[in-house]
Amino acid sequence: MSFMKTIARVMATTALVAAGSAAMAAEIAVIGGSNDDAFWNIIKKGIDDATPAVEANGGSVTYLRLVNYDNFAPDVVQLIRTAISMEVDGLVIPNWVPEAEDPAIKEAIAAGITVILMNAGGADKAIELGAINYVGSDEYVAGVAGGEYFGTAGKKNILCVNTLPGAANTEARCKGVIEGVTAAGGTGVQLPLPTTSFGDATAVAEAIKAELLKDPTIDGVITISAGDADSAAIAVAQAGQATPAMLGSFDMNQAGLDRIQAGTQAFAIDQQPYLQSFLAVSLLASSIDFGTDLPVFPVLTGPGIVDASNIEATLAGVKLGAR
Amino acid sequence: MLSISFGGLLRRPEAGAALGLVAVLIFFAIFGGVTFLKPGGMASWLNVAANLGVIAIPLGLLMIAGELDISVGAMVPFGAMTVAVISGHYGLSIWLGVAVALSFGVIVGLVNGFLIIKTAVPSLIVTLGSLFAVQGIVLGLTVLITKSTSVALATEGPAKAIFGDFVMGGQLQVMVLWWMGLTALYIFFVHFSPFGNWIFAMGGDKVSARNAGIPTDRLTMILFVLSSTSAAFVGMCQAILYNSAQVAGGQSFIFNSIIAVVVGGVLLTGGFGSVVGIFFGTVTFAIVTQGIYYTDFDRNWSSLIIGVLLLGAVLMNNTFRHMALAYTPKKGGK
Amino acid sequence: MSAPILALRGVNKSFGPIDVLHDITLEVRAGQVLCLLGDNGAGKSTLIKIMSGVHQPSSGVIEIDGVAVGLPAPRAAAENGIATVHQFGGTFPLMSIGRSFFVGVEPTKGWGPFKVYDRKRANDIAVKAVRDFGITRIDDGDRLVGGLSGGERQSLAIARAVHFGARVLILDEPTAALGVKQATHVLRIVNEAKKRGLAVVFITHQVMHAMAVGDHFAVLIRGAVAADFHKGEKSREEITDLMAGGASMASLEAEIEGYMASHDGHPPPPAH
Repeated sequence: MSFMKTIARVMATTALVAAGSAAMAAEIAVIGGSNDDAFWNIIKKGIDDATPAVEANGGSVTYLRLVNYDNFAPDVVQLIRTAISMEVDGLVIPNWVPEAEDPAIKEAIAAGITVILMNAGGADKAIELGAINYVGSDEYVAGVAGGEYFGTAGKKNILCVNTLPGAANTEARCKGVIEGVTAAGGTGVQLPLPTTSFGDATAVAEAIKAELLKDPTIDGVITISAGDADSAAIAVAQAGQATPAMLGSFDMNQAGLDRIQAGTQAFAIDQQPYLQSFLAVSLLASSIDFGTDLPVFPVLTGPGIVDASNIEATLAGVKLGAR
Repeated sequence: MLSISFGGLLRRPEAGAALGLVAVLIFFAIFGGVTFLKPGGMASWLNVAANLGVIAIPLGLLMIAGELDISVGAMVPFGAMTVAVISGHYGLSIWLGVAVALSFGVIVGLVNGFLIIKTAVPSLIVTLGSLFAVQGIVLGLTVLITKSTSVALATEGPAKAIFGDFVMGGQLQVMVLWWMGLTALYIFFVHFSPFGNWIFAMGGDKVSARNAGIPTDRLTMILFVLSSTSAAFVGMCQAILYNSAQVAGGQSFIFNSIIAVVVGGVLLTGGFGSVVGIFFGTVTFAIVTQGIYYTDFDRNWSSLIIGVLLLGAVLMNNTFRHMALAYTPKKGGK
Repeated sequence: MSAPILALRGVNKSFGPIDVLHDITLEVRAGQVLCLLGDNGAGKSTLIKIMSGVHQPSSGVIEIDGVAVGLPAPRAAAENGIATVHQFGGTFPLMSIGRSFFVGVEPTKGWGPFKVYDRKRANDIAVKAVRDFGITRIDDGDRLVGGLSGGERQSLAIARAVHFGARVLILDEPTAALGVKQATHVLRIVNEAKKRGLAVVFITHQVMHAMAVGDHFAVLIRGAVAADFHKGEKSREEITDLMAGGASMASLEAEIEGYMASHDGHPPPPAH
């Protein structure tokens, strides 16, 4: 056993030396959101954890972050150009603003940089631009998973609370939920809340409660954000149904995780940002260094369902900054 | 005699608001059915009205005095986040969190008032600046301290009961009691104590008011402190009630409270209005926004219905104000 | 003869290099109406501001009851019983008559923190004060000031000033924005104030209004008192000519007629 280990270590060292001198060791740049944004700090944890493997092969990883979102599109494009001028081999980039970013991404690919789209963009965009893959979540697929979760639990009448109606991603989430639960034999409707209630926890709570009072057969409620679930939890508790409606949410916050632990919320749908950056960096490095080609396309990191069965592990992950 | 006193009622600032309230009540009693008027349904709009009303009244007084405070939109999350960070994240006493949240309200109010008095820049601009500044402080500090944009807060004991719980059969937020109590206090101060007269005079003609010996600067400070502290109070109570605070949110309070105040018969240019009117305006707004959920209307039309009903209420107000101004008893006008 | 309530002696006022008032000497006596006449820009409003403590004279003396005092602030003027009523009455259009009347000095009843505004007393006093000036149309203290006519608003403001102890009333163009009937109202009130022994400074450029109530006239031209005379000493035409800067109105009229005759009956084009 120890002999095998020694051999492995010698081989690794040799590989490191060899790779270090080779021109093909992957120099990778990752572009991400600002320091203030908790989401992008989880992304950073994924990058940090993937970096040792890249460095072991003689490469490097640079995380280029936006300072703020005040001058969003030009700043993102500037970061792409920075990556090109650094003559990196690979680029991981969220396609937030296609119309602004697409020309710059095409330029990067033309300059011989291998690109993976992460977090935003989707599979079709990856093909269109010539990126080798898309690593991220799909709001619709996440919604379907939520709908199926309700269906599996025997829930028949689901309310999807949308506090930002009209936004493409929230609409896709609710559409997924409704189709997911319909496929499982139930029904679902979207509750679009007017802008007058956005950000007013009481207005959101009372709107949900009103729907529950009006239609007591609603047995499942899901919100498009973690903050709205705080309101929904009160609404469900207040509605006085014989069996309180099952509560789920997209994304998660501490209060939501506490509720899952306490049993007053069933589940949260997580897009698992840690996996997005961890996998994107690893896949890209491996492709550049070793020519690997992952047949899975796109790579979906979500939906990850957090419920009573995995809440303890999730909370441990939160402590480590990975969830 | 009866007709005279009825005419007198119609000329009061709250007449339009009261009739508007009755109109929307009838509207939703017809289209919303009985659930809407059952205790659960009533609690639904009373809760919304209470949270809005605690902010709307001081904001309305500012508007009567000819000023505006839109920084309340940032003070709601600021109050919520302050108590959540102090008592949730750091686990310190809830009373400390409450005290600090309210003090921040006082401080922001003093800064707003001071800037407006000293610079003579319109309060819309000053408070627009403090709106963004406070939003920035909330986001920056929260992320710096907690590495997240959402902070959990678990409260028990008397603080929960006083600030963020349900009373009377578990349907009404305790905020409703605060709202009723504060409204009564405001009615006393604005319509019965001499203090109220000063507010109206300030909004009518600031220079004349100052010449008449009214301490307009001090009054301006007090009103700004009232509005921002009230907003911090509502945010704080919501955090205690919902066991969680978010960095974002609260902005809807800006427009919602201005709408409630205007529907309540306060003139946008100042000098005219009443606390009772603002109270009615707030209830009207809450009924209109919550009543939709008791009807069978397609939810996609909610905003349209809200808009039309509110426009109707404001037009009704305008009509009554013109009646009040045109009133000349000798000529038998109405 | 007793000392005048308010007197200006050799008052000059300049704003930086611009001299606005030169060597103004005026006396205002109890029970008299001093009419300040002058065209726009003659310095009337600066003079009012000096009398009401808003501006300080660059040199010269202000006397009250024969004693030289300064009026460092509007409050000092108010304390000496000098009240200024502006063109639109300086009242609050959307407040009730009673509340507007007592702004800043609200009557209360009760005690301690439960002191409440005494609406009935305020309304009664306000209505009575206005009615004593002959404005009988006002009988409800809850009516909004904005619903009153311009003349009634002026009357309310004057009644308010008198009620709170004014000895000198400075009326800044009170009739300028009013119709004939309304202006008559105000003139009647000026007479009433005079009868009660108040000193009135009546600023106007309407000679007819001035002649109806004035005891003493001062014509202001380019910041100086061009003429100072008593009632009956000059005719309307003479005063009008004085105000127009000395150019005789008759010759001006002749000039215009001449112009029209030589231009096929068209009036001259406006100057600007």
